[in-house]
Amino acid sequence: MESSTQESPATATKNTYTFDSPHPVYAMAFSSLPAPSPPRLALGSFIEGYANRVDVVTLDEEARSLRPEPSSSFDHPYPPTKLMFHPWSLPNSPFSLLASSSEFLRLWRLDSSSVELRSILGNSKSSEFCAPITSFDWNDAEPRRIGTSSIDTTCTVWDIERGAIETQLIAHDKEVYDIAWGDAGVFASVSADGSVRIFDLRDKEHSTIVYESPRPDTPLLRLAWNKTDLRYMATILMDSNRVVIIDIRTPTVPVAELQRHHASVNAVAWAPQAARHICSAGDDGQALLWEVPAAGATVSPDGIDPALCYTAGAEINQLQWSATHPDWIGIALANKVQLLRV
Amino acid sequence: MSFDSTNGTKQPGIRKGAWTVEEDALLRRCVEKYGAKEWRHVPQRAVSINEGLNRCRKSCRLRWLNYLSPGINRGSFGEDEADLIVRLHKLLGNRWSLIAGRLPGRTANDVKNYWNSHLSKKPDVRDHGERSKRGNIVFKPRPQTIPTTWIWSRDQPSSASEIRQEKTQVPEIPSSENHRTRVDTQIIGVPNVENVITKEMQTDNRVIQDLEDNKDDESLAGVGGWDDLLRDINLWGDLGAI
Repeated sequence: MESSTQESPATATKNTYTFDSPHPVYAMAFSSLPAPSPPRLALGSFIEGYANRVDVVTLDEEARSLRPEPSSSFDHPYPPTKLMFHPWSLPNSPFSLLASSSEFLRLWRLDSSSVELRSILGNSKSSEFCAPITSFDWNDAEPRRIGTSSIDTTCTVWDIERGAIETQLIAHDKEVYDIAWGDAGVFASVSADGSVRIFDLRDKEHSTIVYESPRPDTPLLRLAWNKTDLRYMATILMDSNRVVIIDIRTPTVPVAELQRHHASVNAVAWAPQAARHICSAGDDGQALLWEVPAAGATVSPDGIDPALCYTAGAEINQLQWSATHPDWIGIALANKVQLLRV
Repeated sequence: MSFDSTNGTKQPGIRKGAWTVEEDALLRRCVEKYGAKEWRHVPQRAVSINEGLNRCRKSCRLRWLNYLSPGINRGSFGEDEADLIVRLHKLLGNRWSLIAGRLPGRTANDVKNYWNSHLSKKPDVRDHGERSKRGNIVFKPRPQTIPTTWIWSRDQPSSASEIRQEKTQVPEIPSSENHRTRVDTQIIGVPNVENVITKEMQTDNRVIQDLEDNKDDESLAGVGGWDDLLRDINLWGDLGAI
């Protein structure tokens, strides 16, 4: 992609863009508007306390920067643990739908000029206490469904059009830290109890443990399910520099353990369109792009080497790979957000 | 209306059963004279020339509070009262005295009778009641792991057929209804046995053997394939538990 510019041709294509935010950024979401719209990011702040903000920035290649959209910024109670745009882009509608999770799941309607809170989906109806939501995932195949994971060991599937709970499952024995949809009715979650479990909404009485951390009770912090090849999942253990790749058909034994980070891995994301590419980022300030070997390939005893490496210079807390612009990866480090071209 | 079941001693002559008009009159006169207190003296005090009040003191008190007291509204319950009762019951449960405390002119006993005879049958009220007790139905899926000792591959037809036989010998898997039907169809088809991967964990090279052909790739990408996979998983999990 060549950007047209009057400056010297040496700086013609820029491969990284940086946005300096006034507050530390954690949650990050790519908008699902496809090309030719430029990549658009929602950034959630990470301020300890009640008053937090969500800002929206757009890549402006002509201006060669990430431009904030002040009319789309809004206050958010508590730091959003996750942000996600509606997975389908509605081509003719002027607004986009953004979901955020903190103590409740909230849906926001972003117009070109304003932001409106569309609904608050609370976990328990009767009591005033709510269990904070650690993460959620918007079902690609069935976007009425959002699955949330919470520290009260439950996973809740919401029907957002009705604004009601579709199913509530006690998923694990300890806090659930991440959840990912595989199919329209299947999701997986990871927990402080160290297990990756798959749930099928058609059979709510059973779940399947696909992987358990080798040392019992080592929490698993993040889970990424490869949307292009549903066999593969990636997970991160707490305080570990390894990315564990699991094949769900051969459970309990991981397919690969990617061990090239020098410090704990914080985030992991599968490539949206390639079946075996995965990107991980961690406290060593590196974002590594790996290619998981095809089944049948020989693996050297040293382990797998990353295909690409980017050094950011500070601990990377968040990584997102744009589904609609697969050549852009966003990372968040301290107060900065960077957009990297793959 | 006899409340004497709590009375341990059986005194001869104590009346039980419905109150007659004369008894009501005696009680009323006594309370007007002495006040609605010191109920233990009321049976003695409520006497007239012709007759005495041969009722137990508990009975006298209850009769006064629930029926004879002047403030009692004896009309039928209005819609607003019924609505209040439903909401209070959802909040408080069966604590009638508390509910009646919010309904002027109604006794706890009347509220309870009204609820039991009229309101508890209505379906939306019942739902409220149940839901407030149970909340939404929350499932707790039982986790199962797939045993890693099952090793099977296309190269070992004997083991595969053995396993197939085992499958047919175990038609009833003790689990949910869903399972039973799925298992049956699976046994008939046995489609995926030969296409399952062997994982040989060992040695220096860590070779991952993939015995799949391309057909399985396609099947897993779609929903149908995933169905098959999950059926397999659940089935083998249960067998492993034997």
